[in-house]
Amino acid sequence: MLDVNRRDFLRTGGIGLAATLTSGFWFDLLARGSAPLPSATFFEERFGVTREQMKKILDLALSKGGDFSELFFEYKINNSVRMEEDIIKDSSENISLGVGIRVLKGAQTGYGYTDDLSFERMKQTALTAATIAGGNAGFAVADLTQENSPLHVYDIKSPMQDLLLSAKVDLVKQAYAAAQSHDRRITKVQAGLVDEIQYVTIANSEGLLISDARPQTIMFVSATAEENGVRNTGFKTAGGRVGADFFLTKETPGSVGTKASADAVTLLSAIDPPAGEQPVVLGSLQSGVMVHEAVGHPLEADANRKKTSIMWDKLGQQVANPIVTIYDDPTIPNARGSLNMDDEGIVPSKTVLIEKGKLVGFLQDRLSAKLMKMEPNGHGRRASYRDVPIPRMANTVLGPGEASVEDILRSVKKGFFAETYQGGQVSDSGKFTFSVNMGYLIEDGKLTRPVKNATLIGTNVQILNEVEMIGNDTRFFLGTCGKDGQSAPVSAGTPTLKLRQMTVGGRS
Amino acid sequence: MSTDNLLGLAEDLVSSGRKKGASQVEVSIREGTEFSVDVREGEIEKLAEAGSKSLSLRVFVEGKIARASSSDLSKETLNRLIENAIERAKLSSADPLAGLPEKGTLSVDAGSLKIYDPAVVDMPPEKKIAAARATEAICLSDKRVKKSFGAGFRTTVGAVYLANSNGFGSSYPRTSCSCSVYLQSGEGSNLFDEGWGDESHSVADLESPEEIARKAIDRVARLIGGRKVETQNVPVVLEPPMTASLLSFFNTCISGNNVYLKQSFLAGKVGEKVGNDLVTIVDDGLLPGGIGTKPFDGEGVPTRKTVVMERGVLKSYLMDTYAAKKLGMKSTGNASGANNLYLAAGTPTPEEIIKSVEKGLYLTGTIGFGLVPTTGDISRGAFGLWIEKGEIAFPVSEITISGNLGQILHGIQMVGNDLKFKDSITGPTIKIAEMTVGGK
Repeated sequence: MLDVNRRDFLRTGGIGLAATLTSGFWFDLLARGSAPLPSATFFEERFGVTREQMKKILDLALSKGGDFSELFFEYKINNSVRMEEDIIKDSSENISLGVGIRVLKGAQTGYGYTDDLSFERMKQTALTAATIAGGNAGFAVADLTQENSPLHVYDIKSPMQDLLLSAKVDLVKQAYAAAQSHDRRITKVQAGLVDEIQYVTIANSEGLLISDARPQTIMFVSATAEENGVRNTGFKTAGGRVGADFFLTKETPGSVGTKASADAVTLLSAIDPPAGEQPVVLGSLQSGVMVHEAVGHPLEADANRKKTSIMWDKLGQQVANPIVTIYDDPTIPNARGSLNMDDEGIVPSKTVLIEKGKLVGFLQDRLSAKLMKMEPNGHGRRASYRDVPIPRMANTVLGPGEASVEDILRSVKKGFFAETYQGGQVSDSGKFTFSVNMGYLIEDGKLTRPVKNATLIGTNVQILNEVEMIGNDTRFFLGTCGKDGQSAPVSAGTPTLKLRQMTVGGRS
Repeated sequence: MSTDNLLGLAEDLVSSGRKKGASQVEVSIREGTEFSVDVREGEIEKLAEAGSKSLSLRVFVEGKIARASSSDLSKETLNRLIENAIERAKLSSADPLAGLPEKGTLSVDAGSLKIYDPAVVDMPPEKKIAAARATEAICLSDKRVKKSFGAGFRTTVGAVYLANSNGFGSSYPRTSCSCSVYLQSGEGSNLFDEGWGDESHSVADLESPEEIARKAIDRVARLIGGRKVETQNVPVVLEPPMTASLLSFFNTCISGNNVYLKQSFLAGKVGEKVGNDLVTIVDDGLLPGGIGTKPFDGEGVPTRKTVVMERGVLKSYLMDTYAAKKLGMKSTGNASGANNLYLAAGTPTPEEIIKSVEKGLYLTGTIGFGLVPTTGDISRGAFGLWIEKGEIAFPVSEITISGNLGQILHGIQMVGNDLKFKDSITGPTIKIAEMTVGGK
């Protein structure tokens, strides 16, 4: 179809894009020219929802005896551009608008949502949510007082929403070209850029009225390499709650493309992993998956309140090697999981989960904190206005140690090094897997042959005690976490780690 | 339900898009009312009820495409959305193969497909709550069950409307009800999570609380005491949900989009023998009452029955209009993915299959993501029962299984007679000659 030399297609203009776009029709008119700052009056200005209406709806939601009511207004614009087979295949603009109304009565939740923000429809929805209580009104709604989060953890200097489509297309083309030209064995590349702005206003019966405007950007490249009938695919993503200058200063599109292709090429010579128990070194690049699955999920408060998590009765106990400290910090500037406020309007703080091997905290939302008689710590999140908030991670980190990567590798005679992952999964019983896309054999303290598609399996109680050495080289991976059918953007950071022994799934 | 209005809205937007300069326009709208109740330890934990709508559209401007979607269906938003899309499309690259399908003729009346049951609409909330409560109560009365994560009952009543500038305009209503329960068993730190659920378009076809509870209890109880085994290569028997899970990976590998991008090991293999004679795989979008049944797909192409693999020979991919053109084939009515994809039943009973295994794994659960369509490689965490001398011997856990789908399709040695059309991807018990089990 496009009969141009693959490596030269950009120069020869194979994409045929005229960058003549000069007006801002690409993004929502409201976002244009205005840095996305939180505004308590956003939903009033845009959709006519007044503070008086909010108070009346909160009141109606408590009319059947609930003890807490809450409104979660969301307006989200998501834009994407995708390139494939040397052409810009498509672009999209997706709008999500609605309100979720929640009523709590003890441990019980009533929930309703609507995409129609008319006063009548919201009142109906409030009455639906109210029925969970099934009694008479008891609690009064406090006057709504606007608050502002003291946190400013997003980069809003150069919002992606202000970027012309032609400029976004350029970024995608750069990533694509770098991937394509990296090696003659690269046969297919896909590259894309997704940016999002989510406006949220939360009002509740305790009088809280708070808003946030959250940017989120991700660039992705997948590259397939082929040689002698063997095909393999490498992936790379970059982004966070960042603006356009991220791609100039932090991670260039070219480096994203190159890394995806480099993995695809390396995988061409990769062997199947050796199966069985062996020493495992988790590289710092993406091993945040480990803390996320093995530690983060089991320490979410809901599963501990319900006593289904394997950790529920271990608060205060030594659960890991004393060299291990793990925390979740939603306040890391520009990180993918960061939040000025959580989805219940609570200003989050760094939450230590494991300190020197001892279990010291859980990730809390409002409901679990109340029922467990603990303090909320700003980890109540929801996928959209259609969902109830649940305890979630933001940016989960295993604190760095002192070992150098060389020292860690040198300590392993024969073992497995995990570098990139497809993902991980854990059950409440603490059993988890990490699916490794690419790794290496460790032989006599050195990385030797590349290894593809390995599964690591274990239980979190066991793995925490298997951590033998911790490196000094923390890096973060970008993830999307799924729980109870809800997705949430997260990140996780770990240094290089050595596990004394772990089961590696391979082929023999 | 305001059926005519929403189809009318879609049609109006199509003609408005044409007037604004799009050469082709497609608009689809989904509306639905959902009800869900979660019960845990006998108490209602969450009760949710809501109605919602969402619209998505595609515009083509001289072979250039742009998409948009919105849950805000106000005139102002939709006008702006389609204008933006037309302007954005101009910035895409022309693709001579991009475009709407030719207007097809629907072969069936949506009413005959049994995907709408008024009894779901009329079911009172108290009955739904009672069903969830009953299911959980039966489970909690079994001593082997340590904890309940809760039971849930969910209904959706909805409709799909689709109109395009090639003259297509149609809609169909759909109902669904489901009941599920999730449990924990085991002692100390050796705990197991398992459950069971059933989904149906009609209330009458839904498994009873007793049946769901019985299956959930059996699934979680049989894992108690699970342990690792030595690393070894053995035959693996997949129980039906695991066959479905394997087929779901197969589905990724025969998806037209992955095939034309050569991100599937099955690319370029139509007409070749890629499995053994026992393997026949079919997608049937018109299966009455099937969970994935629909009169037309997401582009308005009538659905049909497609033989994907016949006695081991790859016959077709599952394609939308664009992927089909890329591959020089015809759309199979799979713009919304597989409709009802199944591995055709064989003759032996599941018991006979287990009996045939001297030593091997009866796979009941997997965890993790290790599936690579480009190569067909599979590597996942696994749970199940160990088979010795044709009998179930003991439960195994925290092991891994690895193999390659290409080899597995050739290595399927037995296909059971226990095919049930319960999910949109389904299959009977099967026996695979050999996979690597990773353990100690």
